[in-house]
Amino acid sequence: MERKDMARKELSEQELAEFEQKLKFAMQHRAAPLGLKQRVLARARERRQTGHGRLWIMQRLAASIVLAAMFGGFAVYRQAEERAAEQKRGEQAREQVLTAMRITSRTLNRVNERLAETGR
Amino acid sequence: MREQLSWQPDFEQLVEEHQSMVFSLAWRMTGDRGLAEELAQDVLLELDRNLHKLGSADHVRFWLRQVTLHRSADALRRKRTKAASLGTDVWVELEERHVLVEPFEMEDESPLGVRIEELLATLPESQRAALVLRYQEDLTPEEIAVTLKTPLATVKSHLQRGLKLLRVKASQTLKEYVRGT
Repeated sequence: MERKDMARKELSEQELAEFEQKLKFAMQHRAAPLGLKQRVLARARERRQTGHGRLWIMQRLAASIVLAAMFGGFAVYRQAEERAAEQKRGEQAREQVLTAMRITSRTLNRVNERLAETGR
Repeated sequence: MREQLSWQPDFEQLVEEHQSMVFSLAWRMTGDRGLAEELAQDVLLELDRNLHKLGSADHVRFWLRQVTLHRSADALRRKRTKAASLGTDVWVELEERHVLVEPFEMEDESPLGVRIEELLATLPESQRAALVLRYQEDLTPEEIAVTLKTPLATVKSHLQRGLKLLRVKASQTLKEYVRGT
């Protein structure tokens, strides 16, 4: 009885070994579907171009923002400069008026003195 | 390190070299040829996105096997969830779909080779993965353990049980084995 069991076990192991060999043969790579490589390469190219396109847009946007900031800053600077110049002009005009008033006042004083002298 | 420095991968060449492997792995894991084609495309496109992280040809091969297995497992999980929500038996669906697929490359195919995807689909996923890596990719049990991130003892158990179960399924399905030739 034991010999039969041993024989059955050996047969089973032999069968498995043979099956393994057949399995290796059966499991060779299947050829990839026609056109798979072309589709993959086309989509990879597309993805790279879209990526580059986005990068290009972002770069242009960044450059535009920098330029806008530069021009805006310059405009603000010019405005401040003009305001300062205007303020200076205003002060100058004020000084002129005051000077004129001082001159007028002195002149009037002199006239008054003369009149006072002649009136005696 | 030297190989890393000198290795200049060419994506087109890698696709040419590995597309059959990826496709075969996906087909044998999912049992669905159409799905396998989609998965193969996705995996190869992901290779393009991640190529800069891979340092050698061996690393690419390892990465492709791992990612293909993960994507296949995800796809099967989605199918099961969908089938569960619809109230259908996904394995019946798989078998029906496979019966409808036109056989191709029939020349020089053994009876086992013709039906191998169908037979593998009847095995538990873990055993299927171990067998495919062993007999399609010729990996050692140690290499399979690293790829699947599974203990070596578990891999050996999957291989042993999977092989016996596949043999039984083959004998139930194929005349060659029923006759014992």
